[in-house]
Amino acid sequence: MPSTDPHSPIFSDGPAYDAVIVGASLAGCATAIGLGRAGLKVALVEKQPDPAAYKRTCSHFIQASGVPAIERLGLLEPIEAAGAARPRVHSWTRWGWITPPPDGGSRGINLRREVLDPLVRTTAAETPGVEMLLGWTAERLLREEGSFAGVAVRNPKGEERELRGRLTIGADGRDSRIAEWAEAPVKTYPNARFAYGGYFEGANPEQAPDAVVWFMDPQWAAAFPTDEGLTFYAAMPTKERLPDFKRDPQGALVDYLSLVPDPPPIRKGRPVGTVFGKIDMTSRLRRPTAPGLALIGDAALAADPLFGVGCGWAFQSAEWLRESVEPALQGSEPLDEGLARYRRRHARELNAHSFFLHDYSTGRRFNPAERLLFSAATRDAKTADVLERFATRQIRPQEMLPRAVPRALAVNARHALAR
Amino acid sequence: MSTNVPTSPVERGSLLAGGTRTRLVQAGPVEASEAVVFLHGNPGSSDDWVGLAATAAGAGKRAVAFDLPDFGETVAPDGFQHDVPGYAGFVDAALTQLGIERVHLVLHDFGGPIGLYWAASHPEALASITLIDTGLLPGYKWHSLARIWRTPVLGELFQATATRSAFRFLLNRNEPRGLPRDFVEAMYDHFDRRTRKAVLKLYRATDDPGGMSEALVGLFGDREIPALVVWGEHDAYLPWKYAERQRDAFPAAEVHVLPASGHWPFADAPETVERLFAEFLAS
Repeated sequence: MPSTDPHSPIFSDGPAYDAVIVGASLAGCATAIGLGRAGLKVALVEKQPDPAAYKRTCSHFIQASGVPAIERLGLLEPIEAAGAARPRVHSWTRWGWITPPPDGGSRGINLRREVLDPLVRTTAAETPGVEMLLGWTAERLLREEGSFAGVAVRNPKGEERELRGRLTIGADGRDSRIAEWAEAPVKTYPNARFAYGGYFEGANPEQAPDAVVWFMDPQWAAAFPTDEGLTFYAAMPTKERLPDFKRDPQGALVDYLSLVPDPPPIRKGRPVGTVFGKIDMTSRLRRPTAPGLALIGDAALAADPLFGVGCGWAFQSAEWLRESVEPALQGSEPLDEGLARYRRRHARELNAHSFFLHDYSTGRRFNPAERLLFSAATRDAKTADVLERFATRQIRPQEMLPRAVPRALAVNARHALAR
Repeated sequence: MSTNVPTSPVERGSLLAGGTRTRLVQAGPVEASEAVVFLHGNPGSSDDWVGLAATAAGAGKRAVAFDLPDFGETVAPDGFQHDVPGYAGFVDAALTQLGIERVHLVLHDFGGPIGLYWAASHPEALASITLIDTGLLPGYKWHSLARIWRTPVLGELFQATATRSAFRFLLNRNEPRGLPRDFVEAMYDHFDRRTRKAVLKLYRATDDPGGMSEALVGLFGDREIPALVVWGEHDAYLPWKYAERQRDAFPAAEVHVLPASGHWPFADAPETVERLFAEFLAS
């Protein structure tokens, strides 16, 4: 880790940075690594003083869509070396199991955040051009000539500094204060489910290292085998079930997972750490740019955790931002053009996905299209393949639907005639 | 999937009780005066309980299930009252004939009101209770199918047009995973004219399915009777939100709501229900 001495020269007032990033979690660190390697000067501000701090309320699952961005950052190898599982996903539906092909299927990443976050943060801190400021909290945005121009930060001793940069980046999560101060337009989507989860040892599902998801329509559960032989078990029921979980989180989680179809061996396992919950999972979709400012990761789009998209999209949105603004930060075009490019890319890649995620987070049951696709996927490998690439966010809804729907109709018609 | 739940062989026979001969499913020590007694619902029969009877016997208990009159293959005697007190009277006669004095009741669907009515008359004989998609139903309003059955002419028309395929469709329509084909076919085989008429009489005689709730709370609320409640979350007839309400009368109840099951959890999730039941009996 670099020096966090507040008196180091980097703390001198003035436009010292090409980019000032607030939030040194996955999205912030990934952006810092990318910009630093492009020869740019980056301040990375993190309110947590501990370099080993990590996000606790997270299923840690990274969809396959996020893996190429991680690989391009050079992080895949160290992540695998740290013991990450590389899962495919087996899904239970009322029509049966949707299983990946024996020798195929897209692989995501499962590595506990307490391992992943310090690994990514260390890489960011060691990247030339990146100055890590741990234990400093953003206090307000700086403005210059109608544009955002950095942040004022404060440490626990009450010392305040102004970090000026050409681009200010909010990577401070779903409750982003940067977004709030920038008055970024936001749409919110209530979530009718809540989440509880915890790690267990000696309780790997038989599909391990693959992950297992139960779509019990509308209830949901999952098992994510991860490093150190642990499995993260998660339940996301609708809120009518909340009293049981509040009364006895661990007991309710174990009971719930032991009542799903083809239950995993959670009752034979030993809990490691506490079972934690998240009750308010309101989704937020924000306009990801403002003059001189960009939002990435959950700060731009905090989606329903049920589909495990947050970690992967953190890395992906970091990459989209770097690719979009790097020419401007290198001085070859106005920054506004780069930010507009990022905004369009973010919308193109994620808006259709987020529409479907928000819609399902109402706690509703499957609609006719979902029933068609899920049922056909249990009966037909090609439909399952298209659906899997959509669910792992490698193709967008507008790419999935024309490929999957006609085939699913034919598959289900054949199935009905054969009965 | 193996559940590792011990089981014992189940024997089929018959029993003369209440003026008729009923089919009998029995397992475990047949001389015991303490037994697990299973009461089926509508449509249903003693066949519903073969798996759980084997589980009960595997736990060392005597297990007994029989057809209620005009269900399964059992013909009701002349003058039989097709209402809750009438069926509870038949249960009492059958238990007397079997020499059973202490009862672990296992109830499903309409077996609930019948069994609870019997238990209210013999509270000292109740050793434990297992409620599967049934129980106290305070404030409950009949489901749509029951309302059809309760309507004169419409109910008869409905029963007359219940073909095998229509029956199969109706039963599976709301079941999240569909019921095993053999289970549904056997159920339809028993859904003959007698049963169809009995269903109409029973539902028309039961104006308030939740009417006993308050009395049951008063009767059992202080007795700490061991209780197991299993409910399918997708039950389209008796909403799963009643599962917790069983604690009003049975405060010690273990409550398990199966997130991917419907009205017949012992048919769509037999391994899970047998495990829960075996653990309950062992405790």
